[in-house]
Amino acid sequence: MKNILTSLAVAGTMALGSVTAVQAEGQGLLDTIIERDSLLCTGHNGSYLGFAEVDGQGEWQGFDIEFCKALATAILGSPDKLQIIPVSWAQRFPSIQSGDIDVIIKVTGWTMTRDTELGLQYSRPYFIGPFYVMSKTELEAEGIADLEGGVFCVNAGTTVERVLTDYMETNGIDYEPLAFEKGEELRAAFYAGRCDAIAGFGPFLSATRVNADNPDDFEILGDVLALEPEGIVVKQGEDDLLDVINWMVSALIMAEENGVTQANVDEMKANPPTASIGRLLGSTPGVGARLGLNDDWAYNVIKTVGNYGEIYDRTVGEGSRYKLPRGLNNLWNNGGLLYPLVLD
Amino acid sequence: MAIDAHAPPPIATGPAAWLRKHFFATWYDTIFSLVFAILIYLALKAFIGWAFVDAIWRVENKDLCTHDAGACWAVIESRGRLILFGLYPYEEQWRSTLACLAVIVTIALSCLPSFWSIRRLPILWVAGFTTFVLLMRGGFAGLELVTSEQWGGLSLTIFIFSGVFVIGMPLAVLFALARRSSLPVIAKSFGFFIDIVRSLPLLTLLFAAAVVVPLLVPDWLQGNKLMRVVIAFAIFFAAYQAEIIRAGLQSTSQGQEEAAVALGMPYWSLVIDILLPQAFRNTLPSTINQAVITFKETSIVTIIGFFEVMASGNAAIGTGEWGNQYVEVYVFLALIYFVFVFGLSRYGAWLETRMRLGHA
Amino acid sequence: MSQIFASQKFRRIAVQGGFILGVVALIASTILVGKSNIADQGMATGFGFLEQTTGWPVNFSIIEVTGRSTYARVLWAGLLNTMLVGFLTLIFATVLGLLLALMRVSSNTLMKLVGASYVEVFRNVPVILQVFFWYAILTHLPSPKQAYTLGEAFYLSNRGIMMPAPALSGSDMAWLLVSVILAVVFLGLTRERLRLGPRWAIATGAVFIVFVVVLLTGREPDSALISTPQLKGLRFVGGITLKPEFTALLVGLTLFGASYIGEIIRGGLLSVDRGKLEAGRALGFSTFQINRLIRIPLAFRAMLPSLTNQYIWLMKGTTVGIAVGYPDYFAIVSTSINQSGQTMELLALLMGGFILINYSIGFLMNMLNDRIKLKGRS
Repeated sequence: MKNILTSLAVAGTMALGSVTAVQAEGQGLLDTIIERDSLLCTGHNGSYLGFAEVDGQGEWQGFDIEFCKALATAILGSPDKLQIIPVSWAQRFPSIQSGDIDVIIKVTGWTMTRDTELGLQYSRPYFIGPFYVMSKTELEAEGIADLEGGVFCVNAGTTVERVLTDYMETNGIDYEPLAFEKGEELRAAFYAGRCDAIAGFGPFLSATRVNADNPDDFEILGDVLALEPEGIVVKQGEDDLLDVINWMVSALIMAEENGVTQANVDEMKANPPTASIGRLLGSTPGVGARLGLNDDWAYNVIKTVGNYGEIYDRTVGEGSRYKLPRGLNNLWNNGGLLYPLVLD
Repeated sequence: MAIDAHAPPPIATGPAAWLRKHFFATWYDTIFSLVFAILIYLALKAFIGWAFVDAIWRVENKDLCTHDAGACWAVIESRGRLILFGLYPYEEQWRSTLACLAVIVTIALSCLPSFWSIRRLPILWVAGFTTFVLLMRGGFAGLELVTSEQWGGLSLTIFIFSGVFVIGMPLAVLFALARRSSLPVIAKSFGFFIDIVRSLPLLTLLFAAAVVVPLLVPDWLQGNKLMRVVIAFAIFFAAYQAEIIRAGLQSTSQGQEEAAVALGMPYWSLVIDILLPQAFRNTLPSTINQAVITFKETSIVTIIGFFEVMASGNAAIGTGEWGNQYVEVYVFLALIYFVFVFGLSRYGAWLETRMRLGHA
Repeated sequence: MSQIFASQKFRRIAVQGGFILGVVALIASTILVGKSNIADQGMATGFGFLEQTTGWPVNFSIIEVTGRSTYARVLWAGLLNTMLVGFLTLIFATVLGLLLALMRVSSNTLMKLVGASYVEVFRNVPVILQVFFWYAILTHLPSPKQAYTLGEAFYLSNRGIMMPAPALSGSDMAWLLVSVILAVVFLGLTRERLRLGPRWAIATGAVFIVFVVVLLTGREPDSALISTPQLKGLRFVGGITLKPEFTALLVGLTLFGASYIGEIIRGGLLSVDRGKLEAGRALGFSTFQINRLIRIPLAFRAMLPSLTNQYIWLMKGTTVGIAVGYPDYFAIVSTSINQSGQTMELLALLMGGFILINYSIGFLMNMLNDRIKLKGRS
């Protein structure tokens, strides 16, 4: 039995070529990625509206995918050196532990269990997801309390499930929960009227509403169930990679704050208006080396995907069909929670 | 006690008699026939109205697609390639088509009785399978390299199906022989193993192969996820197929085995030249049935993140534009499965008749 | 001569010993590699998490489960859900399969046609698609306020089918279930007619007494014996509700399973010797009597092994419940993996649960097989 399995597995490995790099002792994941010359990032098994969806030509698109591209560009210089591995919600943690993927960029909430018991490490949040409840206009609910006794649908295995339970218990509202594994099934059930309300991640709710036959049939209630900071996840101990991720997120925010866009980045690089922009875009050498990257890493990222605001608008914001307002995901000086780290 | 002689029943002919015999023989036959005739009529009328008469076919007319209209087949025009090819690079999809055809031809050829020999069949399959992998993967002769993460759609479904068949068949033979072994330890262990695998849902095995095996085996043995999943699937298939083959082996007469031993034939020759050909022939219908089940079960790999045809169907409706056309997409998917599976099961029925007549 | 025998014997022992060693080595190396990998990743392991509370609710369960229940209890609820829908599927699919088989062997051409098309359609489409289909139909029914109703007692809406029911609590139901199981075991163990009366009468009587006792004692004072569903706000209160998730899964699996079971039964029926049927006809039995007394019992014996396989297969089919939001054992395990991250432990529990259920089915069917064999001495 053993021999057969072994030889089959070996034969299979040789036939198809192994994508799991053999990780030498003491070598960090960042080095492995550079050596492999490709980044393994998360996709979705199906579509998660606005964040990871597939277009008619089989290309991945969405907010999370743009961050995958940005990271691939920061490390390897090109968004083409990216492999999107489709994984389901349930699979994302086992997959990163087993090395099938390098990072999880899949609107993954920062929870204590995941951070500690699963042996994972979070980057600074790249998205703040408020949880809302969306209900049908005809029910004329003004707040969640008006939906007493109703059926609330959620995505199974996500943090929403817990957040809703807590909220309802705290406020003493009686309700009937119903959980679905996939977003498609959840939406279908809601449209059909199986649920009185969906509790979920704000962007997902807006997308669901926009997709309805008649969006005015549904409304998102003002009550916020909770906020969830979404981080990029790496394995515990991959500090070098985590540094790159944190500074990449910061660079995108800093670029927006300073008006550096995809269109004017060349000009900015040639004539940096401030010293810190010079450091960011690599006009002043030496910054990239601290992260183990080239000096033009941030320039490449902005040239490829644009700044934070541009990514947002293109995938989920005004420039997309979902028209999600920036809300908390705006710069600190525009009433949001985003701020860059200090680039000295 | 005298028995009255009855007149022979009148021999009725003509359409009226035919109808009476087949549809209205008794009062409950009559009720049944009428009720079902009406039901069939209503169902057909509703279906044809939805699928053809009121349907919207072209993307240009997408605005007409509402809940009240018929089927919105425009979604297939727009997203059909995604469903069929998944994440495979758009420019290279001709390769995926060719690869798919290669395996379909292989399946078709192996259905021909002239290929049924213990030497020809493996060669055919290995050849078909290799062609498939080379075309899909590329990376030589100017073909762009496409790693298995990007494979998807119908060709991935067919790859998984044929991979499971190619790896699973020899495993099944081995399991069956091991379970029949005269060595009690081996027979018992394999019996236990087969029973355990058979009582587990396929999903649990695939999930374990995808996410747990990498933690339990050394790095050099892991292979990639697709390979692990195909092997786990093949073990599952083999556990079922082994029982079918074992039944086939049992149905060959004991005398042949004894005769071969008396002639001093070596064990492997006995197995390959005498037992297996008969076992396979006797169990062909059940093997076809198992193949049908396996083909349908490939849809399960969507849960562990592969873009086979079911998952890419889900992705096709998972976009803002086509989110409401899920019924059309599911009908399309059902049709794809139906074509393959119905073909296979008709073939199985044909074989059954053929063998009952003693041709094989 | 004896030397050859001895060496062959030695070879047999050596091969088997080597095999055992190989298996032990495989298991040991797996454990060792696993341990070191897990330690490297800093993952928490062990079954301690079973005592923690889950923090998430379950939509449907026979036992009481809330966000404050422990993982152990929620998993148990999932296992019960799987068994509930699984065993009901087996019963309904067998009945429907029998009908289909009788249709396909009947002389009415339309019946044959309907039976054959049914089998081809339902057998050749993946069961998950079928379950999706039924779920879509059930959820497109009108909302509770516009529900179809039958005499203000039965309601049909996109929240499910509501019916009046005896006012029994969860623990009452559990007692009832236990008594039914005991009754079945009693029927299985006893053979002869007992002094008190026929076995089935004793069993049914006992279950009925338990039912009356729990109905009278278990409910709250002054509440009605039968509770009927009533619309209150957004939902129905009282009575019993068959939720769409449960119904869709049950209907989908039953219709799918029936197509396979129907074919197995048809094979069994065709295997019955024509002579015996003709003998029955000659003795003046009606078609119904021939079916009930000759054909079905004989066919049953022939098809029992394949039926056992099919039952196990259907039981495993309940795992598609996750697609329509039915919290079966697999769905609960999957959510737990997501929430707690204890992948390996939970996967082991999942496999263990199914091995338990399916071995029980195998055991029960074997028992049945033995009984039939004894009966079939004639």
